[in-house]
Amino acid sequence: MAHRGPALLAATVLTVALTACASEGGGSGGSLVGEGTGDDCTIASPVPVGAALSLTGAAASYGESQQKGLELAAEQLNAKGGVEYELTVEDDQTDPKQGIAVFEQLTAADGASVIIGPTLSTAAFQAQPIAQDEGVPVLAISNTVDGITAQGEYIFRDSLTESQVIPQTVAAAKAEYGLEKVVVMHANDDALAEAGGEVFAGALDAEGIEVADTLTFSVADTDFRALLTEAKAADPDALVVSSLIEAAIPLVTQARELGIDVPIVGGNGFNNPKLMADAGDAAEGVVVGAAWNSSSDNPENTAFLADFEEKYGAQPDQFAAQAYTGLMLVDAAVRASCSGERDAIKEGLGGIEGAATVLGELTINDERDAEHEAVVQVVEDGQFAVLD
Amino acid sequence: MLTESTVTFIALGAIFAFSFYAVLYAGQLSLGQAGFASVAAYTSVLLAPDPAVVGDLPALLVALVIGTTAGAAAAIVLGLPTMHLRGVFLAIATLGFAEAVRIFALNAEWTGGAQGMSVPKIVTPAIAWIVLAVVAYWFWRSGPTRYGRALEAIREDELAAGAMGIDVGRHRLGAFGTAGAVAGLYGVLWAYTVRLVSPADFGFTAAIDGLVTAMVGGTTVFVGPVVGSAFLTVIPEVQRALGVEAGWIRPFVAGLLLLVVILFLPGGLAGWVPRRIRVPDISGDGDLDADHPELRTREHAPRGDVVVRLAGLSKDYGGVHAVRGVHLEIRSGELLGLIGPNGAGKTTLVNMVSGLVAPSSGEATVLGVTAGRAPVHRVAAAGVSRTFQHSKLFGRLSALENVLVGGHLVIRPTLVRRLLWLPSARRDERAALAHAARCLRRVGMLDAATTRANALSYGDQRRLEIARALAADPSLIVLDEPAAGMNQVEAGELARLIRSLADDGLAVLLIEHNVGLVRQICDRVVVLDFGEVIASGAPTDVAADPRVVEAYLGTEA
Repeated sequence: MAHRGPALLAATVLTVALTACASEGGGSGGSLVGEGTGDDCTIASPVPVGAALSLTGAAASYGESQQKGLELAAEQLNAKGGVEYELTVEDDQTDPKQGIAVFEQLTAADGASVIIGPTLSTAAFQAQPIAQDEGVPVLAISNTVDGITAQGEYIFRDSLTESQVIPQTVAAAKAEYGLEKVVVMHANDDALAEAGGEVFAGALDAEGIEVADTLTFSVADTDFRALLTEAKAADPDALVVSSLIEAAIPLVTQARELGIDVPIVGGNGFNNPKLMADAGDAAEGVVVGAAWNSSSDNPENTAFLADFEEKYGAQPDQFAAQAYTGLMLVDAAVRASCSGERDAIKEGLGGIEGAATVLGELTINDERDAEHEAVVQVVEDGQFAVLD
Repeated sequence: MLTESTVTFIALGAIFAFSFYAVLYAGQLSLGQAGFASVAAYTSVLLAPDPAVVGDLPALLVALVIGTTAGAAAAIVLGLPTMHLRGVFLAIATLGFAEAVRIFALNAEWTGGAQGMSVPKIVTPAIAWIVLAVVAYWFWRSGPTRYGRALEAIREDELAAGAMGIDVGRHRLGAFGTAGAVAGLYGVLWAYTVRLVSPADFGFTAAIDGLVTAMVGGTTVFVGPVVGSAFLTVIPEVQRALGVEAGWIRPFVAGLLLLVVILFLPGGLAGWVPRRIRVPDISGDGDLDADHPELRTREHAPRGDVVVRLAGLSKDYGGVHAVRGVHLEIRSGELLGLIGPNGAGKTTLVNMVSGLVAPSSGEATVLGVTAGRAPVHRVAAAGVSRTFQHSKLFGRLSALENVLVGGHLVIRPTLVRRLLWLPSARRDERAALAHAARCLRRVGMLDAATTRANALSYGDQRRLEIARALAADPSLIVLDEPAAGMNQVEAGELARLIRSLADDGLAVLLIEHNVGLVRQICDRVVVLDFGEVIASGAPTDVAADPRVVEAYLGTEA
């Protein structure tokens, strides 16, 4: 069969050559600088917005939500008129190599005016410096670890960090349940879960809550009975858990099976409707801090819930809400000086103050991080309810 | 479409695939390379100087040296206890090592746990490709050397490789160490490319990616890993450029393409690159005994000296006495025939003589070494060469290459000199080729020099085995049923060849079923039955011995 080799290779080479030719034809024509201000701003050519999301691979469930949020926002903004957004969603396959390649493509001379993403914080540290070097503004919509925006003055985010949300969560839980002694459990082979565990430790310390024990596990684990038995022996007032949703579901379920009925305080990974869908009754009493209050009755949020439900026939999650907000913030930044140029968007993002968004009143601070109200939720009757 | 990082990642992927190629070339399946890369990346990031102080390039160079050393050291430390494992067992053991490294990196203080350590980006496409060029150069130059051929021989047939005097353990460990060093290079380059060293990048998936790249590219030609990496790295880029919608379709298509390659190109993408085999012109060249200063020919014992002395040699397999108390001497220049019915213990006896099987009791002194106690390659080095009852040729190598491996003990090592392009290496390789060609000519197979061994006819395979055995310039040659499967004419030619070997002064131990052939050419015949010597002496006397007739024809009822 050796004779098929050259043919196959030739076909590959041909494809590469053809596509190389095709991509040279790209590039935007007209000007990205428009006329008018604010809502009256009109820009002749569409503003290219690139999004690098994890649509396949380990983080696919988050990326898909984000894609829906972005596409809904793009549809609404384009319907509004004046400025048209050309949204390109690219998949980084939850693979650092792809993440870097996607960022390089989006930052090319004829690439995006602003980049949204990537989904995971680890990928962010590998890819966002490329945009920083090229002077392309980046708006992170789901990176929650510290240090993301410290990478440079072109890196912004609309997602609250774990350090912003977790202390509020711990304080609220302490006030509600009178916590004095807890057991901390966190996955130690995932960057997010591990970082969350560290933030929890700091927050518990600040609140003067005793940590009876710290137990670690792997994100791939499914059987937590041994660890939970150990945790139960410490007789804590609550379990504090930092993990991704995949491990959170069996952990919560098994905790209840073992008769651990104290509150379970979760990190950002718990902030997912799948928790109630898959863990059922076991999820009752789980306390989660969130950057988005799904039951908020501000007008932006009510409209978002209705529009999302209508377009996709499902409820949005926090990732969708943050993604939707992200593109809305980009629009605000573009309209601020009525320009779709990279540096104008950078200036615009930095100047966002008190914007009315789905997430509430949002300000980008001097560290380019978002500041808005976080919400502490508790699962009640299969729903996230605000913990008062 | 080919952005800077794509070009870099092609080189990085190829370097990582080379670390798999290094062991697959020698027939070993290791999945520990991700672990070696991880050890190298962490060690170098920890120990290398700060680029901000000493400059980017010096820092990277130091890091690469540290990483290569750390990777090779890790491989050798792991290799020493695991080198006796084969196939899947080695794969599992090495995988266990990689997982242990990952867990250590997750839990140690200084590694930064799951969040890893941040690393400055220094690697440019040019740097990555220069390192790749160095790695590829190594594999290109080392392929056609004594060392490279020895690794290929081990891959094709470990037992036969040992019998040709190749120190299998040392060569396997060498290949393993090379894999570790190359994986170390990859680990360092990776860290200084993606700005982060974290355990997640050196997990099981990484190991599988490297293995797949090596297999898709091909593991027998040195360009394989480069082709494999280019193919796999470019697939997502092509799809992106073609506008295939982001999402599940892309990995699905990539999976299908992989399937197609493996199904239709079992030798990998580079499998159709022809192996270049030059057959030297040896017309007018002297015979085997002529003086060839480039070859390390040995001093043969003078005719009539005892080269093999078996004293009460026995071998039991459980309750079965395969060989019982055999006393035997073989002298230089003597052609000794060993005959006996099926299951008489002939092959067990010659396996003990050539050191493949250790005796249960008694002692076999062969050319000054104690066979069975010394490793096989030592016995071979002492001057014992053999053929096997069931052909044990290196199937995917050409006839000429088979004989070159046979000449392992005679040919000087050329690896280092070939890497340095020293002219003496070329002279030595030429001499080796000429030597191999002369051995082929002696068995009348020069015309088939470029044919793959497993494509030869049965009779030709037997003759090639003899040529391979002769290439070692042995003092004792053991031929285990060389005439099996040959027709009358071929067997006649073979008989003349064997006789001429003894006439040249070699000691020849011939196992043969063809009693006519044995009677015709042997100086002396030993008959074995149920593991015991039942007759010994001149061929005509032995043939008339009633015990021999009884053993062959059965007792009268």
